[in-house]
Amino acid sequence: MLLPLERIIFILAVLVSLGLSWVTFGQMFKVIGRGSDPIDWKKSIKNWPRGLGVFLSQKTLFKTRPGIGAIHAGVAWGFTLYMAVNVVDVLYGMIPGFHFLPNHITGDIYRFFVDIFSVIVLVGVKYFIFRRFIYNDKQLTINEPVLLSESARKGMRRDSFIVGMFILCHVGFRFIGASFEVALHGQDWSQPAATLLSYVWTWFGIAEGSLTLGEHISWWMALGLILAFLPYFPYSKHAHLFMGPLNYMAEVERRSMSTLEIMDLEDEDAAQFGAAKLEHLPQKELLDGYACIMCNRCQDGCPAYQTGKELSPSAIEINKRYYFNEHLKEFSNGAESLDSLSKWMLSEEAAWSCTTCGFCIEVCPVGNEPMIDILRVRQDLVLMESNFPRDAMDVFDKIENYGNPWGMSPQEREKWTEGLDVPVMREKGSAEYLYWAGCSGAYDDRGKDISRAVAKILKKADVDYAILGNEETCTGDSARRIGNEYLFQMQAMQNMETFEKYGIKKIVTQCPHCLTTLKNDYGEMGAELEVVHHSEFIADLIKEGKISPDQSLEEDVTFHDACYVGRHQGEYDAPRDVLQSVMGTNGNIIEMPRNKAQSFCCGAGGGNMWYDIDRGKRINVERFEEAIDTGAKKVATSCNFCMIMMEDARKVTGQDETMTVVDIAELVADRL
Amino acid sequence: MKIAVLVKQVPGAESPLPIQPDQSWVDEGAVAYMMNESDNYALEEALKIREVNGEGEVVAVSLGPDRIQKVIREALAKGADRAIHIQMETAGAIDPLSTAGLFADALREENFDLIFTGLQSDDLGMGQTGIIIGEILGMSTASLAMATEVGDGKIKVKRELEAGWFQWVSLSLPASVSIQSGLNTPRYPSLKGIMGAKKKEIKVVTPSSPDPTQSLEKVYVPQSDKQTVMIEGSADQIVGKLVETFRNNIKVL
Repeated sequence: MLLPLERIIFILAVLVSLGLSWVTFGQMFKVIGRGSDPIDWKKSIKNWPRGLGVFLSQKTLFKTRPGIGAIHAGVAWGFTLYMAVNVVDVLYGMIPGFHFLPNHITGDIYRFFVDIFSVIVLVGVKYFIFRRFIYNDKQLTINEPVLLSESARKGMRRDSFIVGMFILCHVGFRFIGASFEVALHGQDWSQPAATLLSYVWTWFGIAEGSLTLGEHISWWMALGLILAFLPYFPYSKHAHLFMGPLNYMAEVERRSMSTLEIMDLEDEDAAQFGAAKLEHLPQKELLDGYACIMCNRCQDGCPAYQTGKELSPSAIEINKRYYFNEHLKEFSNGAESLDSLSKWMLSEEAAWSCTTCGFCIEVCPVGNEPMIDILRVRQDLVLMESNFPRDAMDVFDKIENYGNPWGMSPQEREKWTEGLDVPVMREKGSAEYLYWAGCSGAYDDRGKDISRAVAKILKKADVDYAILGNEETCTGDSARRIGNEYLFQMQAMQNMETFEKYGIKKIVTQCPHCLTTLKNDYGEMGAELEVVHHSEFIADLIKEGKISPDQSLEEDVTFHDACYVGRHQGEYDAPRDVLQSVMGTNGNIIEMPRNKAQSFCCGAGGGNMWYDIDRGKRINVERFEEAIDTGAKKVATSCNFCMIMMEDARKVTGQDETMTVVDIAELVADRL
Repeated sequence: MKIAVLVKQVPGAESPLPIQPDQSWVDEGAVAYMMNESDNYALEEALKIREVNGEGEVVAVSLGPDRIQKVIREALAKGADRAIHIQMETAGAIDPLSTAGLFADALREENFDLIFTGLQSDDLGMGQTGIIIGEILGMSTASLAMATEVGDGKIKVKRELEAGWFQWVSLSLPASVSIQSGLNTPRYPSLKGIMGAKKKEIKVVTPSSPDPTQSLEKVYVPQSDKQTVMIEGSADQIVGKLVETFRNNIKVL
């Protein structure tokens, strides 16, 4: 179709574009290469079905904001189709007389889909442009207290505009070009939309010469834009379209969402523990910055962001990305990054505001893990800088000296068993199951109630179990999530020694934080333990008929998911099954709007149980108000920390007289 | 500036304290030991002086059996340059004069500019050791420091008096000062500090046991019991009997 001169210009333009892209893409991958822990690219490439699967299915877009996700899927599929379209169009332009399978059913089907998807993409992108620039959707902004670099604040809007216009013009001109072609060669009902548009040109009586000129201009606009945009990709969030799938391919397998690799504390050559600067982050986490499309889904359910704290998981990735852009040349060439991460990526207060609930990781459509960055920054602040909340220091001392964060006597750990027939390992010698009550189950008053309920159930079901009693000591969960790897490893080694002593392989616990730490973090340390949450254990006992609680709960109850049972362990059904087993005919389980994988944290995780972030609304109050709104007068939990937070919020919200908080084990034990 | 900080290992406030059957002492095996609280502040104050001066040495000094190496390591992890461990069995408690004599012997040759001690130990609470050491070694002394300022061969100390009053005193060096809790924010050891502490020098000295000037009679938990006496009669009679009981039996009047 093109004139000979046009063809020469096009070939030159392709060469220039590819040359520039070689440089900018090279810089992008060099930036990623600056990370500490290398990505195993061979393994990542073998993982291509994962990347392609996510890309083609668009399934990760539907976890939250399904409406927007559907529009995105339309645009994404259309854009994917356009990759083929561009090839065909180049051939059409460059090879005189080339037409893709004219008068052939395959060609007609191709043209039909291109036509339809052109319209879908154009409508979708117009909606996105409207949403960002006219409607100014709050979801797309990051609120004030959050640290967001100046270049990010400005750059995001500019980049979004460029990307929007690029897609609009690229697809729009291709579509208009097709309509010119239809107008020139007569109607083609395999391209219904283009044909309809062609009537406009015919109606206006546009001359053939003008139509041909229009077709040429459209061709150049559609394909020339691609050439112009290609070198810009590494600067643009639009890079997500391949960096997102690549991020899934480079995925790091973790035993749980919050289980980091074990640090070698004896490594004498290690100069740095945790991440103080950009280059201390693993390569995968730098890739995260390139994969982020800045949709802010992660902050939609972030307990810190939603209650007005300084933290937005999204801002971490965005700041990273704009740091790359601003310092691309130096940083990709190996220069040391300028300031510490807490100066520009994530403020210290923001780092301490994270409850490690895992929402950000769960919902991220491109597989980013901002929470992991936070944990690494915390490790630096604790292990290298000794700079962390005063109350956390107090908790470290208590764990170290008394083996529990409450700072209560280790000799009083088994006091909750007084008056009950609870077997202890040192007397029993061994048992099939260790019942791990945990610090909260041994020292907190409500926690002790739950432990007694679990003990009653275990006894009723005739389970061969025992507790460690005073030989039990803190798992080190809080220490590890706050960043004190040293204290965590000390606690872990002590407990692992005790497990060895009694040959313990199976553990039941009602504390999801102990559960995750024992099962996943100790697993990483080399202890392969079978650890079961009490919800799962009780659900199984009921299924096997070993216990059958009365179905006598005759009031509505709402269930609050514990992050470390739900998102971290993927268990949403067992606690609900247990709850269902006690429901009478007049009682119903009423779900809160945010439940299961999208559940809202109680505010205690990640060590936040032990120190206060004095900003914004209290997270537990925010969650409890959601429970109040269900109309249920009973809130069921399956975690000691959730219990403490909900009990506290119950009082703060003035519901002491009207509402109660119960653990699922208590509901069962009361009905045996 | 060479500063010695005396750190004592004491039972934690929440530690179990079972008493030995012969009532001679607590059963140390069951005790959760930690660094004496005000010693922790004394250490921080010494480390801060060294940091502000940009030079100097902080030496942690402790007295007791092997178990006290835990607090010595802690002090080293927080930043003390080296340590002196006066190896001695302390079960049954040693009187402050003997204790101070042992410390003075160990510290004399070192010629410290400053000796910091906690205000008092949280177990025995004598509150005298640091001051007696100062006296033995011919140093100026001050107790209950709420703030310190070092300069021009002197240390200025803000002392806590009664009823919310304070006093600034200026001491010539060398000086021995006992430090009140709360005057600074003690640090948490960094990982580098903890790892580095393993390589720092701990000099162990083993003096002969001192002749005690005091001895411990017995250790026991005070027994409390409850008695109820019904006082009957007219109002005047009741008041009379109450006054008599308060005066003679309970001895509060």
